[in-house]
Amino acid sequence: MANSDSPKALPTLLAGLWKENPVLALLLGMCPTLAVTSDVKSALTMGLSTAFVLLCSNIVVSLMRNLLKPHLRILMFTLTIATFVTIADLYLKAFLPAMSDKLGPYIPLIIVNCIIICRAEACASKNGLFISIIDAIGMGFGFTITLCMLGAIREILSTGAVFGKQILPAISENWYLTGGMPDGFIPMFAFALPVGAFVTLGLILGLVNMINKKTA
Amino acid sequence: MDTLTTLVLGFLSIVFVNNLVFSKFLGICPYLGVSGRIDMAFGMGLAVTFVITLSGTLTWLIDHALLIPNNLDILRYVCFILVIAGAVQLVEMYVRKFFPTLYESFGIFLALITTNCAILGLCLFLNLWKVDNIVEAVVLSFGAGIGFTMAICIMAGIRENLQLANVPEALKGAPITLITAGLLSMAFMGFEGMIK
Amino acid sequence: MPHKTNPLVLFIKESWLLLVSAFIFGLLLAGINAAWSPKVAANKELKIQDAIVALIPATANTQIAVDNQPIKLSDKDSAKTSIFKALDKNNKLIGFAFTASGAGYADRIDLMIAVDPDFKKFLGYKVIFSNETAGFGSKIKKPFYRDQYIGAPAKKLTLKKLGNAKKIDDEIIAISGATISSTAVIDIFNKYVDKVKELMTQKGLLQ
Repeated sequence: MANSDSPKALPTLLAGLWKENPVLALLLGMCPTLAVTSDVKSALTMGLSTAFVLLCSNIVVSLMRNLLKPHLRILMFTLTIATFVTIADLYLKAFLPAMSDKLGPYIPLIIVNCIIICRAEACASKNGLFISIIDAIGMGFGFTITLCMLGAIREILSTGAVFGKQILPAISENWYLTGGMPDGFIPMFAFALPVGAFVTLGLILGLVNMINKKTA
Repeated sequence: MDTLTTLVLGFLSIVFVNNLVFSKFLGICPYLGVSGRIDMAFGMGLAVTFVITLSGTLTWLIDHALLIPNNLDILRYVCFILVIAGAVQLVEMYVRKFFPTLYESFGIFLALITTNCAILGLCLFLNLWKVDNIVEAVVLSFGAGIGFTMAICIMAGIRENLQLANVPEALKGAPITLITAGLLSMAFMGFEGMIK
Repeated sequence: MPHKTNPLVLFIKESWLLLVSAFIFGLLLAGINAAWSPKVAANKELKIQDAIVALIPATANTQIAVDNQPIKLSDKDSAKTSIFKALDKNNKLIGFAFTASGAGYADRIDLMIAVDPDFKKFLGYKVIFSNETAGFGSKIKKPFYRDQYIGAPAKKLTLKKLGNAKKIDDEIIAISGATISSTAVIDIFNKYVDKVKELMTQKGLLQ
């Protein structure tokens, strides 16, 4: 299978982080990106679960890439992904029950996260095991970092905390009754709501566009 | 509450209050991708409504007739996604055979629907919300489809007009669409609490 | 095209990979499920236990008294509830806790409600599941609102917009900005209290 134009390891790894970042450049996997990034902890859990499923499905697909029949390909991908998502879901239920309650149906929704099926189709079904693993790591890492970044921004703005730890001075309850200035950070609850998700992601994408234009 | 009121309220609530796009973030990918033109958005919405009703009902039946009685919860996700993929295939074959003209205008969307998270999401929410009555399951699935169609059509209408607006260079395309969606979701929050 | 093949052979030739991997994945899932499901079940039990301990701190042991029993809340509304006995370390009954659920602002709210052994006073509630709007409705999990139920008489309660939240009686002061979530909680209390009492008397749990 060794051909001259097979992708190199390092560029593949780096592509996932910026140039082909699943969220920021390819606009894939939007649902979890928006839904579970109201705090960093859920974002991290979601990112790592997705990365795990991505890695496993890339390995399996890459191993059986020469045996795949074209018209049963997608069915095979879906079956593989669904299996590993079930495993990830069970793991969370068994070892991180609080997280599993919080993320609820968004964990099984990893099945229809376009990133995974897209990588299976575009990378794993054409490349060897090594490149597929590197690709999954790069993409999974890129996805997790982006999710955490969004989660951090939203969590700081909506509660003044990161990882549940207060970093901006908390405001005392009923401060407005004393008639003085606010004695701490006024939480902007809107950022924990759907509005915050859409607007934050929109502005970040705008920023990325701007940076890309500057460097181009 | 009698059954009819429950059904009507459930329907309204999933169309407006628990709209899959604006409050549950489901089906964002097609929402961003297809909603450029209003007629295409409507076609996509109809296709989704059809598949979502079919697969919502089927997965509910499978869940309650096979998986729950036999304690096979573990196979739920695999079954659900296979049912959805199967339903999409069936609809595609049926439409291609019997309504070739419809297929021309609609067919491209059908293949995309399998990975539309709104559908799997709805099936999972039916399970989470502990819907225990088939009529309710059908009504909720249908309502979810209508809600999706409405969201995607509103968005397409706004985007058609946005082409005439002077949007900052960096925000063109997906960013401004997302921000618009954010404002829309805020508007839809106004419906929250109307139905109890 | 080569000569016609047996359809069954063709089928197997085309889909053997799918069948084999479905079989392997099935085995994998079954294995993992067998290994982890006791842990999942234990987690669920622990969650209930934790909720009861949070409400009745002296609890050393809990016992399930009524498991997922259907009750009629009104003529047209029925639901299910589970009732637990809370026992202290000398195995003395120190209270009951029951599950209750109702419609909230955005979604369903599931509560664990605790009462004293004679069903005279509430000992508080804990939100087991809710999806209320962060920052507003989620305040039903905060002490300001929750503490008002601790020690409140176990009968129908009323919701007031203004008043002294520190005074413990059958008047509950709503959370400003989250009236609907506040109403939802009090509605759940009012819908369940009499019916659960009835059920417990029926089962011989109360004198």
